[in-house]
Amino acid sequence: MLYHQFAPKMFGVCLRYAKDATEAEDNLQDGFIKVFANLKNFRHDGSLEGWIRRIMINVSLEKLRKQHLLYPVEDVAVYDTVNFSDDVLAKIAADDLMKLIQQLPPRYRMVFNLYVMEGYSHQEIAEEMSITQGTSKSNLARAREILKKKIQENYRELVTQNNNTA
Amino acid sequence: MKKDKNIDELFRDKLLNYEQSPPAYILDNVLAGVAGARRNRKIIFWRVAGVAAALLLAFIAGWQINMHNDVITEPVVTNSRQNVAEKPIEVLPEVNMAESKSPVETQISESVMKSGTVNFQVAELSKENQISRIHTNSENAKVTNPKPIQLNQANESLVVAANGGSGMLEPIKSLFRQISLGTTNNDRKLEKIKTEDLLVVNHDKTIDQQIMEQNKQLMQAENQTKTKSRWLIGAQVSPEYNVSRSSHSQVYASNMLNASSNPVDLGGGISVEFKKGKRWSIQSGVYYSGMGQSSGNSNLTPGKDYALASTNRGSEYFNTNVSFDASNSKMLMNSTAGVIEFKTIPSGIVLGTNLEDKSLVSNAVVVSNARFIQNFEYIEIPLYLRYTLLDSKFDVEMMGGFSSNLLVGNQTFMESSTGKSKIGSTKDMESMSYSGTLGVGLKYGLSKRVYLNVEPRVKYFLNSLNSNASVNYKPYTVGVFTGLSYEF
Repeated sequence: MLYHQFAPKMFGVCLRYAKDATEAEDNLQDGFIKVFANLKNFRHDGSLEGWIRRIMINVSLEKLRKQHLLYPVEDVAVYDTVNFSDDVLAKIAADDLMKLIQQLPPRYRMVFNLYVMEGYSHQEIAEEMSITQGTSKSNLARAREILKKKIQENYRELVTQNNNTA
Repeated sequence: MKKDKNIDELFRDKLLNYEQSPPAYILDNVLAGVAGARRNRKIIFWRVAGVAAALLLAFIAGWQINMHNDVITEPVVTNSRQNVAEKPIEVLPEVNMAESKSPVETQISESVMKSGTVNFQVAELSKENQISRIHTNSENAKVTNPKPIQLNQANESLVVAANGGSGMLEPIKSLFRQISLGTTNNDRKLEKIKTEDLLVVNHDKTIDQQIMEQNKQLMQAENQTKTKSRWLIGAQVSPEYNVSRSSHSQVYASNMLNASSNPVDLGGGISVEFKKGKRWSIQSGVYYSGMGQSSGNSNLTPGKDYALASTNRGSEYFNTNVSFDASNSKMLMNSTAGVIEFKTIPSGIVLGTNLEDKSLVSNAVVVSNARFIQNFEYIEIPLYLRYTLLDSKFDVEMMGGFSSNLLVGNQTFMESSTGKSKIGSTKDMESMSYSGTLGVGLKYGLSKRVYLNVEPRVKYFLNSLNSNASVNYKPYTVGVFTGLSYEF
């Protein structure tokens, strides 16, 4: 069945775009209702998985718009640029990274996901989210800085240990 | 930049193909949502159909009112004809003068003015043909006018002036009249008069006299047409037997009351019917319709707790669980028509909680020998089409159509050995529902205008009466509507 084939992967997508598992479940549910309602409109000119993924992203985006969560975020904190070695990063579990993404402010999370995970350009993101390309770039940079900071805070021991080893 | 790529790749590598199984209930919700979306699409369809039907009804009503207004203008024509008849001698010299003196159209217009002939029927006819033929065939008039239409235009201008304000509506009225003239047998008679009878013109008569005769014939034909359209108003009552027809999600049905009997309710109302011609008619009105069902113990196999309980309370032990709404702490119980919401915990029942069966740990069971009766009341606005199969002393008609049903009453009662008391209502009932009706009508004429009607009907609901995604409740109703109708 279509649902069983794609639900785990799409739940992973929804988790990345949501602030927690409950919101991701809602988005997955709404997304699949749309998938089944519009299945006859699928034109078979691309992969079915890509089409379903696109629906999930749109649902997440719509949800954020409805909740007025795409307001500009003035992040006054200035983060120091932190660098990690590949060894440190390799030790961080996927579940932990998911939590870090979910903790991002909604707009940063959306820009980061669209750029890094979906491979959108800043122009495409700007059109999708009705923002300027400059804002998209700025949000992406902020998202990266926040993620680095969080990794440094949460995995201080790993970072320290690695530096000592080096 | 390299460091950015570093963190981007970290997230991409670990999360791009990240998979996690969603909770099992998501699939149930998705399936319920898809079913709900389909249902909403159906409701939208019936709403659009309802609006279209209402517009059609309004158009027909407007048309008839307009037709009725036309009748008011008839005396003007009649009077003018009488005036002409009283002055035949005055007319002739005027027309004869037209032969020798001045341009024909001017003279004839004058004659019309003097005689007071206001012929809007002339305006209805195929004007050029009619007037041309009259002129060509009339020896007395000998009108060889190259612009006969001007005569007609002069007449029309007189018509507008003579009728005052109502003349402004004359083109619209004329349009409606022409639409109606084109559809019935009498219309064909009318056309015949226009085309054939006009050829046989009495050469000895004046133009005015000929026009008067044509008017008379046209009016007679039109009057015959009007007698075919009529209205009927009536009142009917009916005992209504409701048959439950429902389906439910598996989770919902696993813990649900068993609808065991359907009480007979009363329905009825006032109908308005418009009959055009001998066979077809359209009917609307306002009806009240009561529906209800009685529910008892579930027919599922009792669980462990019930088995234990049976030693104490026996058949009084209710094996349908109740739950509590977290938002308002009201007690809820599933029935085939939807979730019953209790106002308060009714007196006379015992609630069993903290059950040994762990699957029921958050629920409770009702210990009582009660039955639950759910009553729903609707105001129905129908739109039916009727066709007369047999037109004799006993008319036999087929009828069918659909109705909009407005929920006006939703009550749930509990009936036990101690009596019957209101305990709450059914949740999530749709405020507006749509139904289809089929029936066979028998009509007996008590007098020329009063009829006795007996009409068995089957009404079935097109959408679920309950908006709960787990409940699909579409009962149908069988009734025999009996009443009187008056024709005018």
